[in-house]
Amino acid sequence: MIAIFITAFFPLLKTFWDSFFSFGLRPGIPKRFIGFDNYIRLLNDTRFMTSLINTLIFTAISVSLEFLLGLITALILNADFALRGLVRAAILIPWAVPTSVSSQMWKWMYNDQYGIISQILYKLGFLAPGTPILSDKWSSMFAILAVDVWKTAPFMALLLLAGLQTIPSELYEAARIDGASGWKQFTKITLPILKPTIAVALIFRTLDALRVFDIFYIMNKAVETLAVYNRHILMDRAFTGAWFGYGSSISVVIFLLISIFAIVYIKSLNLRFD
Amino acid sequence: MKKILVLSLVILMTVIGMSVKITMAAGAVGKELEVLMNQIKAFNKIYPDIEVQLLPMPNSSTARHDLYVTYLGAMTSDPDILMIDVIWPAEFAPFVLDLTKDYDYFELDKFLPGTVKSGTVQGKIVAIPWFTDAGLLYYRKDLLKKYGYDVPQTWKELKTVAADIASKENINGMLFQLNRYEGLVCDVAEFVHSYGADFLDANGKVIIGDKDNHERLIKALTMLKSFIDDGVAPKGVLTYMEEETRRPFQNGESVFLRNWPYVWSLANDSKQSKIAGKIGVAPLPKGDIEGGRHSATLGGWMLAINAYSSPAEQEAAKKFIKFLTSYDQQLYKAINAGQNPTRKAVYSDPKLKEAAPFMVELYNVFINAEPRPITPVYTEVSDAIQRHIHDFLLGKKSVEKALNDLESELKMIIGQ
Repeated sequence: MIAIFITAFFPLLKTFWDSFFSFGLRPGIPKRFIGFDNYIRLLNDTRFMTSLINTLIFTAISVSLEFLLGLITALILNADFALRGLVRAAILIPWAVPTSVSSQMWKWMYNDQYGIISQILYKLGFLAPGTPILSDKWSSMFAILAVDVWKTAPFMALLLLAGLQTIPSELYEAARIDGASGWKQFTKITLPILKPTIAVALIFRTLDALRVFDIFYIMNKAVETLAVYNRHILMDRAFTGAWFGYGSSISVVIFLLISIFAIVYIKSLNLRFD
Repeated sequence: MKKILVLSLVILMTVIGMSVKITMAAGAVGKELEVLMNQIKAFNKIYPDIEVQLLPMPNSSTARHDLYVTYLGAMTSDPDILMIDVIWPAEFAPFVLDLTKDYDYFELDKFLPGTVKSGTVQGKIVAIPWFTDAGLLYYRKDLLKKYGYDVPQTWKELKTVAADIASKENINGMLFQLNRYEGLVCDVAEFVHSYGADFLDANGKVIIGDKDNHERLIKALTMLKSFIDDGVAPKGVLTYMEEETRRPFQNGESVFLRNWPYVWSLANDSKQSKIAGKIGVAPLPKGDIEGGRHSATLGGWMLAINAYSSPAEQEAAKKFIKFLTSYDQQLYKAINAGQNPTRKAVYSDPKLKEAAPFMVELYNVFINAEPRPITPVYTEVSDAIQRHIHDFLLGKKSVEKALNDLESELKMIIGQ
């Protein structure tokens, strides 16, 4: 209990506490209590608002794509076929590569001079030759989404596959005898039993996506997410002014956002943790 | 016999008791780390009682900054010696030792003036220049000769020459570093200074709106953007950093390149470069305007001492820094790691001329290299320049809008 308090709650409470102050790490900057001023300032900070919207867009698209692709993959992998074990292991490779490594790898593939993806897009006529994918806000957002989906859909598939394996095959046999179609079996047997697994997978991924940092930071600093903007405030500006309380308030916003999503998921999927 | 043994034991004990262990944050770009290890060995021959331990740092300057913020913010006594970028002294000044009284000890009057200025914050010396950098123009000697061109003296000339050769050879004309990061500020500062303009004046006041300066800024930035718009520089430069421009250049895919001195030895290494021996280096071109001048942005690294270290460690650190910045060691580093000396006299050493002739030939570029603004809020100033100018170069904002936005943001940051 004490360990949990020291490692989890103390930093959390300290961050909450800090977010009500104006202070910096540079000596000589007085620590002043300013109440909710940091939060009011956030509302007027267009850079914060843009990064908030970027984070939400990224979360919505990446989680839904990853869920759909993961579910399809899991259903395929659940079937019996030769070399099933090998295929299951193989799809996990993208997930096993450290994000910093895969981000750099994709960054090279997006390079306008020698990147293979750029070359293919130029050849197919989707992009004017020489257009740098990672310079424009929207094209880089989609480029980064592609990396994230490539990386995390296998993980999603693995989680869902574990859920699928717990469904006893007798249920399907009985359904078949009763004459239920494949779709009916899926909606009446698979989905309801899989629901808790789906909820856990969605919570995991959504929380990860909401605090996404590394992919955006390495691939392209031009599109900022909340975590990237927060790093800028807490690190680049640590010694330059009274920004530390402000940075803490961004951390609190990220925390609250994550909590809200978690609660909404748990409530809407009727999950019970016991 | 017994007496001698006892005596030597006593001496040994005193030496151990007196010995100091210091830690130094060090980089590992190219041969940097290897050279430094050899230097520590040489240092220990003179000072056997000082043990120097290295703390290798990530190569990215931003990542180092983050680590220092963590160390210094937590007020730890390690590392004792910090290797800091020329733009950080003002920001880190409250956390490092004031070395003003040691001016003569480090012989700073024998150093390049620009580098000493970077380590001076409000009249106080807080960091000792270790090695220096300046933006240079690399060009393909063979191609210029083939088409009968001289090395261009102004940006406009450069554009014409680059466009002509590039179209005939079917390669890129010019490469810059214009990703949204610190390098963009360096490249842009060179353009802006070459047109006799600036964002801040020497006192750190925002002067973007001053009439004459404003016009010059517009001319400089428009010229830079025209390189991209006219296809002389690929659009991709907006996503490139140093290495992304060095590689295509040494693969023979560009006529010109703006980059730092480290490129010289790598691009002339026939094992990895396709154009070894075919490269020339020159000062960057002048602005096409009355009063235009050659300008190079000052880069490089300095050594500072952690203010939270013990007095004994601080003394030892001073000795080690004096050793590293001595004439012999700067020469050794320049020859073996390709990093430019900060002592003026080293540039006339015949050994350096043999190993890195361009360092000697371009002495004027290094002595005249122009620092970026010296202000404790530099990271914020730089961040604002990066965002607004990058937006302009991308075509998201007009030059007037970008400058106006930048002006109001800089005024807010500086509190003007």
